[in-house]
Amino acid sequence: MSIEEQIRNIVADIVHCDKSIITRESTFKDIKADSLDIVQALVAVEDKFGIEIPDEEAQKFQSFGDFIAYVENHVGQEGKV
Amino acid sequence: MSQSLRGKLALITGSGRGIGRAIALKLASEGADIIVNFFRHREAAERTAKDIEAMGVKTEVIKANVGDPAKINEIFDTIAHDFGYLDIFINNAASGVGRPVMEVDLKAWEWTMDINARALLLCAQRAAKLMEGRGGKIVSISSLGSFLVLPGYASVGVSKAALEALTRYLAIELAPKNICVNVVAASAVETEALKIYIKEQSGLGKTKDPRQITPAGRMVTPEDVANVVAFLCGEEAFMIRGQTIIVDGGTSIATPSLLGKEQSS
Repeated sequence: MSIEEQIRNIVADIVHCDKSIITRESTFKDIKADSLDIVQALVAVEDKFGIEIPDEEAQKFQSFGDFIAYVENHVGQEGKV
Repeated sequence: MSQSLRGKLALITGSGRGIGRAIALKLASEGADIIVNFFRHREAAERTAKDIEAMGVKTEVIKANVGDPAKINEIFDTIAHDFGYLDIFINNAASGVGRPVMEVDLKAWEWTMDINARALLLCAQRAAKLMEGRGGKIVSISSLGSFLVLPGYASVGVSKAALEALTRYLAIELAPKNICVNVVAASAVETEALKIYIKEQSGLGKTKDPRQITPAGRMVTPEDVANVVAFLCGEEAFMIRGQTIIVDGGTSIATPSLLGKEQSS
């Protein structure tokens, strides 16, 4: 399963939404995620891939595309695939 | 400056920023070696560690969410491996979701309780083992919301009440091991967390700026809280057990007619 697919599964599970609405263009706001959902999603993705996503970086994400790209760029460098 | 904590090892959860950072710096200034714990803000934690190192004591940074029991075990496994002992544990890390009680769902409740209350239980159990034979100090940070009703503070307030009650049990049951357990409860402290809380609640027209309702004429600072924590970590506080010490500039004992007045400078 691709990194993108795994992230979509994690986020859909936390937010309790259909993963089809999570696209590279959509935002947490689009899928009605609250601040707790966002933190839990970040933590779950960190644990899944063995990487660190500091809040300072996460705040720069404009869309899931940015989130996925960050993880893709850091897995392998510091984490597990 | 007093070096009464020279040679002691202190773990402060959530010590990258705010009150935790102030406590870490204060205990370091008293000579303690410091374990800085953070959850989401590594840069802040590393800045704190750098400032501590500049004081000539040892420091280590550990990332962990104290709401996760496995991560708590990682913290204490690391301390056990790297040091083999612990003298001071400060249960400061806190989180919460600002909602009225009728809107607190299971996820928000568990998140808040796990980080604010359950973490004390699990950390104290591990910390006490590392304090075996040498005694120690455990201090938690609470807030006036444990007994006052604050807007949008239901889950956090209840978690703080649980933390204070748990502290009383720990204080008695750990007393034979020479471990002193207490709480410092502060009113609104000027931190990033407070700014977020005021922004959330003022949008709903539910809270006043705390600077206008403190009898002492100014807000409580992180350093005010750190000073009391440092006192409780010293031997002069040895006979204080299971207490909640309030640091609020008089806010909690003032009648409503005394609050909200302009303070003279």
